[in-house]
Amino acid sequence: MGTSYVYKRDASRLFIAMRENGKRYKIYLPKESKPVIDNVEQDINFIEQSDFQYLFEWKGKRYNCELVSRDQNKSTVKVNGVEYKFSLESLFSYVRHGMIDKDGKQIDENNILSPMPGKIVDIFLAEGDLVNEGEPILSLEAMKMQNEITAGCNGVIGKIHVVAGQTVMKDDLLVEVTSIDV
Amino acid sequence: MNKRLLIANRSEIAIRIIRSAHKLGLTAVVLMSDKEPDALYLQYADEIIEAKDAYNDKPIFLDAEKIVQLAIENNIDMIHPGYGFLSENPDFAALCETNGLNFIGPSPELILNMGIKTIAKKMAIEAGLPLLPGSKGAVADAQQAIEIAKEIGYPVLLKASAGGGGRGMRIVEKADTMERNFKSAFDEAVTAFGNGDLFIEKYLVNPKHLEFQILGDKFGNVIQLGERECSLQRKHQKLMEEAPSASITPEKRAEMGEMAVKFAKSIGYFSVGTIEYILDEDGTYYFMEMNTRIQVEHPVTEMVTGIDLVDWQIRIAMGEKLTIKQSDVKTAGWAIECRVNTEDPQNRFSPQTGFIEKIRFPQNANVRIETGVHNGSVVTPYFDSMIAKIIVQGATRQDAIDKTLEALNDFSLVGLKTTVPFCKAVLQDPEFVSGRYTTSWVTRIFKPEMLEHPDDELIGALAATIIYATEYLQIASDAPASRNESLNVWVLNKRINK
Repeated sequence: MGTSYVYKRDASRLFIAMRENGKRYKIYLPKESKPVIDNVEQDINFIEQSDFQYLFEWKGKRYNCELVSRDQNKSTVKVNGVEYKFSLESLFSYVRHGMIDKDGKQIDENNILSPMPGKIVDIFLAEGDLVNEGEPILSLEAMKMQNEITAGCNGVIGKIHVVAGQTVMKDDLLVEVTSIDV
Repeated sequence: MNKRLLIANRSEIAIRIIRSAHKLGLTAVVLMSDKEPDALYLQYADEIIEAKDAYNDKPIFLDAEKIVQLAIENNIDMIHPGYGFLSENPDFAALCETNGLNFIGPSPELILNMGIKTIAKKMAIEAGLPLLPGSKGAVADAQQAIEIAKEIGYPVLLKASAGGGGRGMRIVEKADTMERNFKSAFDEAVTAFGNGDLFIEKYLVNPKHLEFQILGDKFGNVIQLGERECSLQRKHQKLMEEAPSASITPEKRAEMGEMAVKFAKSIGYFSVGTIEYILDEDGTYYFMEMNTRIQVEHPVTEMVTGIDLVDWQIRIAMGEKLTIKQSDVKTAGWAIECRVNTEDPQNRFSPQTGFIEKIRFPQNANVRIETGVHNGSVVTPYFDSMIAKIIVQGATRQDAIDKTLEALNDFSLVGLKTTVPFCKAVLQDPEFVSGRYTTSWVTRIFKPEMLEHPDDELIGALAATIIYATEYLQIASDAPASRNESLNVWVLNKRINK
């Protein structure tokens, strides 16, 4: 259950790399599998690493990377002889800077409200966890049926307003979710 | 005893000449400059002469008298000048001659005559070669220049007779600005060459640069080995060359080649040489100049003709008769040369100096590598920025383009930036691929963004993230309450398994 999801809970492994021209990459470095870039697990092989140099293999080609310069969270990396400059943020600082949802409204849309009156049976995730779109967050019992409430987007779990066993009314705020889909 | 050949040059061309010297059973002797005492070419030579030029204003390769003196002291028989430096200096050739050293090139008189553009053009006219409309010799003053410009039409080019490298050169768009441009070109020419003579000719806005390879012996036999197109230039510096050219018909090729041979014969030329033409957008061609040295881009001709130019250059100097007839010269396939310069194409081609930590060249039967560097070499500010050439042959032009791109993808250099990404961008540009490109390609078409590739960018983002994450997660795990966990099994495995 859940193994097919690319995001594996630990939100401290999700980063945003942004170029000067505004182009953004959302990069997740899971503990035990390949990197997830913009929600897609990429079959990139890490061939070798020495001081400030990295060699990757992807799509049957080799990519030579070299760290050219580094200033705080800004890095210039040379790939196949061409330099690219990125500024990097962890997911948390990214969210803090309010860069995920430019208009600020979207945050609400991703929060989980109770679709019907019922009782919280179980909560599968904790505050700060990464959640995948369609992944169950909690289980709600109503009319003797257990319903799994799933995330509407890839995101990070914010405040959880309920506990297991608690009774909720329709449209009660259950869990805050901040989208990471940019 | 083996004849002793001194190479008055460095880097890749020195190594190239050593190869030919060894093929001919000659002892290859090189000069070691204090400016690069660990240079790669030194390792290939049979003998090294220490030039001790550390305290001189110029490197040994520009010091004619010192070279000749060292050659005499070391019992040298012949001197190969390579390209650049003293290769087209008639005084150096003459100095070699008077000291009984065989200068590998044409006679000092031929070098001198071809070096002075007004004389070369006069000789070309006599041989019946088409020239750009312009003044016959030097122009007296701005007034005369305006009169000539009225005849040939604007824009026109003012050029110093003794010039080169763009100095003493002005494009004049209209009569109003002639006076000002004439004066500044004149002043510049006087300062640079000690000679303010200016001539004037029609300026082609969007031309192509084609050149024909000539091979002649001392018995009056001259053949041509076809053309090279060198239109891909930046500030008159060639960056990529190809042979043959997609811009001329077989009839025009034959005509231009015959003209080149006719000219070379008319002046009694011997050795290798190059007749440069400029080709207008309507296909009209004009003689520009003749180069009397081996050229950087000679390998593309060698690849398509199978003729070893440096080998012949030396044999001709030793008095051998040319055994190849014009009818023997056949070209096969297409060859492209990419110059690997340590210049930053993302930053106006600014020169890069420093260590080459790691360099990896493509290896393939259809790829020829000429390099002056290897792992650990130093690129100094004392010499030019070309460190290597990658030459690739294909069956057709498109095949050559594809194979060159493939070869460049296999090139990597850690430590410095090079023109390789630039060459890759050129090879993918529709105008280059169509063959319609001209000398203005870099100014008209090139943008640094063309160097970027989405896949490279994504990998760059990943690398930057790994670097950042390593530190970020390190800090997180250093916190007392935190679990001490690894960054990533994916990354960590590679570190352990190395």
